[in-house]
Amino acid sequence: MRRTLLYLLLGLASLVTVLPLLYMVSLSLQTEAETLSARAVVWPASPQWGNYAELFARAPFGNFIVNSLVVAGAITLAHLIFDPLVGYVFAKFRFPLRNTLFVALLATLMVPFFVRMIPLYVLMANLGWLNSYQGLIAPFLMDAFGIFLMRQFIQPIPDDLISAARIDGASELGIYRRIILPQTRPALAVLGLFTFVFQWNEFLWPLVATTTPEMRTIPVGLTLFNQEYFTLWHLTAAGSVILFVPTAVLFVFTQRYFVRGIALTGLK
Amino acid sequence: MSSPLSRRDLLRLAAATATATAAVPVLSACAGAPTTQAAAPGTFTVYWNAGHDYQAYRKVIAEFEQANKVKVNLQKYQWPDLRTRLLADFASGTVPDLVEEPGGWVQEFAVSGNARSLQEYVDRDGQAMGFPSDWQPVTVERNSYQGKVYGVQLHLTCNTLFYNKAMLRDAGVEVPATWEEFLAAARKLTKDGVYGVALNQDYTYLWPWLTQAGVTPYDPSTGKVMTPVADAVAALQFQADLIHKHKVAPVPVSGTDYSGPQKLFSAKRAAMIFTGPWDLEPIRKTSPDIELGVAPPLKHKTQATQAAGVSMFVPAKATRPDLSWDFIKRITAIEVEQAATKETGMLMPRVSWTKLPEVTSNEFTKVFADALPYAKDSSQQVRLTGQLGKWEEQLKVMYQQVLIQNQPAAEALAAFAESAEGFLR
Amino acid sequence: MKPRTLSGRYARTAYLFLLPAILFFAAFFYLPIGNVVATSLRTGPQADQWAGLGNYTQALADPAVRHSFLVTVAFAVAVVAGSIVLGLALAMAIDQPLKGRVAFRVLLLVPYLTSVAIVGLLWRNILDPELGVLNRVLLAAGLPAQQWLNTAPLLTIAAVTLWQSVGYTMVLFLAGLQGIPETYHEAAKIDGADAWRRFWRITLPLLAPTTLFVSVMAVISGLQAFGQAYIITGGGPGDATDLSVFHIFNVAFRTRDFGYSSAQSVLLLIVIVAFTLVQLRAGRRGEVVY
Repeated sequence: MRRTLLYLLLGLASLVTVLPLLYMVSLSLQTEAETLSARAVVWPASPQWGNYAELFARAPFGNFIVNSLVVAGAITLAHLIFDPLVGYVFAKFRFPLRNTLFVALLATLMVPFFVRMIPLYVLMANLGWLNSYQGLIAPFLMDAFGIFLMRQFIQPIPDDLISAARIDGASELGIYRRIILPQTRPALAVLGLFTFVFQWNEFLWPLVATTTPEMRTIPVGLTLFNQEYFTLWHLTAAGSVILFVPTAVLFVFTQRYFVRGIALTGLK
Repeated sequence: MSSPLSRRDLLRLAAATATATAAVPVLSACAGAPTTQAAAPGTFTVYWNAGHDYQAYRKVIAEFEQANKVKVNLQKYQWPDLRTRLLADFASGTVPDLVEEPGGWVQEFAVSGNARSLQEYVDRDGQAMGFPSDWQPVTVERNSYQGKVYGVQLHLTCNTLFYNKAMLRDAGVEVPATWEEFLAAARKLTKDGVYGVALNQDYTYLWPWLTQAGVTPYDPSTGKVMTPVADAVAALQFQADLIHKHKVAPVPVSGTDYSGPQKLFSAKRAAMIFTGPWDLEPIRKTSPDIELGVAPPLKHKTQATQAAGVSMFVPAKATRPDLSWDFIKRITAIEVEQAATKETGMLMPRVSWTKLPEVTSNEFTKVFADALPYAKDSSQQVRLTGQLGKWEEQLKVMYQQVLIQNQPAAEALAAFAESAEGFLR
Repeated sequence: MKPRTLSGRYARTAYLFLLPAILFFAAFFYLPIGNVVATSLRTGPQADQWAGLGNYTQALADPAVRHSFLVTVAFAVAVVAGSIVLGLALAMAIDQPLKGRVAFRVLLLVPYLTSVAIVGLLWRNILDPELGVLNRVLLAAGLPAQQWLNTAPLLTIAAVTLWQSVGYTMVLFLAGLQGIPETYHEAAKIDGADAWRRFWRITLPLLAPTTLFVSVMAVISGLQAFGQAYIITGGGPGDATDLSVFHIFNVAFRTRDFGYSSAQSVLLLIVIVAFTLVQLRAGRRGEVVY
């Protein structure tokens, strides 16, 4: 009885989360007329796989995919390099101004991106980095959330391990690389996934920081399918499905680390 | 004692940092993407509306590239995104060579010093190209500031009545010409699953009604807005009543686009809508079986409608205004207007355009062309105060309060007027 | 930590490791924020005329600013409450030894992987009162059609936000639940405490740090919500969903008053920091969160 109830609850909740996404797939396979018909079409009579090909015919969609992969990939890589290092310092070192610096770091979590946008844009224009990969990547190389996550994760690692390694004459960077990093793998999986998902879906900065269609990322490129006064729903949905696939694949690969990774960060 | 940070560590850390930093440009190189800049020489940057990428314009661009030995970088945006982009450009000083705008921005940016005066070019080439003599007067006035021309109209549109011929025939309804006839028709046309009319959630669709009621949006000499007030209230309430009292129209959904009524019309769920030529193509494409009729704007105190449409201007900091002007000249040639109209049904600002066979012989285009002479610009006096943005924000809230939330028009309008008269002063 | 690690050598190492981060945050956070503060003291379309504190006094007296702030707080409260109740309920359900729990976990988390912009467009389409698929389904089931975006706009966009984020909250709670030693529950069972009492007496108190983290993050993101208004409602109907960040964005890019917009940004920033500090203080149970 209780089990049935639990299955019912979870099954219902899963339906609610998944059905709208399936409807997005349905939209991506409808004809334009079907997307606008008087009675919403739940599933198209004959799926229009050609919609996906049309995406590439109408816009440099291949470029969008490459750009999104390069930008989100490079940013994720940077996070995986810098966030654990900084988190390690805040978890295991004592130094003047430590708490002040940490609070100052956490405060950056609370700044909405568009507040920084115009000053950043001016900065990038002065550097000549608009419409370039470095311009799209640089403002997001690290963030406070990732550093916080890694600090929480590294904190419970016994200090004795570090001291022992120091006595053995290991170098500081060596300690970080050989002792700390290997233990953070589940947290790195979580961090990598979060960072990639977030950057993959970013809209506002790629919108203002790119100046040619060839440099747009997928979310920005999708706005091309919005005509002046109406939306090409079938193509927008097809683009959304393409946008969704890489994050879903990445999630399937990292999800086994997920709960453990978070459990060990002490966020619990 | 443990060892302190060694020199080797330092080198490694430096190397790691350098690699990470260097990875960025390296990655760019790998993907083979050029890191071009907005103002790169040899590139002519144009901001364009995503819906206006016509074949006719593509042809002009190719000719322009050939003649001037430049590459045109045509960047297409939705209006709100285009504006966000443009204001960021103004802040940084890196601006495009030419901008298409949705009406109203030319004067706004002329006032703020971000648009360049084109008067010297008009003085030089005006006679030869027919500017301003061949442009409808309203399109010259709305693109001038302190006696100087700052922009050139590209499209001139207005709002008329679209109707489903079959539905009107079946209901035995004549095409309405006045507000009273319109209400009566909408009532007869409303039945099971079909609405007589669908109204737009966007506040700009308020203007045809207000101009027909003889309302002046803003009178700088008295500082009053929406006068005579009683007529403005009546016009607003008439629209709200169509929805909430007579129930001949669905409640619009607040959002960010204008396509709600067109979709209902295409889906045969609404018999009549008020819209402009931009909806001709979507209707034709999605519902080719609809017998579309286009009728002149309604008549109340007067027969009138709102003039709309887009213009082009050159940012003050653009570095090649001669090229920008050449682009404007080419794209507004009568042959180009003719080709664009043939291609899309769009309406154009030249007086000589109204006499083209493509216009006079087309049953839709002709109705629009006939309405253009009595189309009015609704926000010019507000634009010239430099307060257009605030005015639009508050107007939008007021319109939706009445239309969607069914607030009494008198109340909502009074609150709007009090606020607007405060910041316009 | 051992006292000898306090030695200056390690401090030097620490700063060296921190150097890239310090440079990065200075260039891409503090410099721009300083710029925003400077802009908040100016006025005019180019933000080039000195205004002193004028923008701040104007903002504090502006009814539209106050309204958008109240709307935002209501939105954040709805999202925080929903996140905690639904997230915890789902986490407790999935924490049971059920078949297919991994599959459920994946399915519930899937919406979190897509973008706010896409979610907004998708739900706008689904919720359309005349042409949307939801009302089609309701009518087919013999239920009355609804106009969610007109009758309860704020709750509707809060629900869409929850739809997207509840899987993430669930995972956080799940991690928390798995950290509670089984012995506590067993001991309570032996003492004869029923399930309800065990939940209130053991589970909830021991989950306090997770709940605190979830609520702090939900408040921060709730107060910064933007895409929901930008994509779904356009702030309407009327000003019913005029979320603060959306309002500030419009002051900057539609009304074009960067000085006034910057002042409102700074005020919102102060509010978010204050909220977070109060929450952390209230939730601190002998444990330092940062």
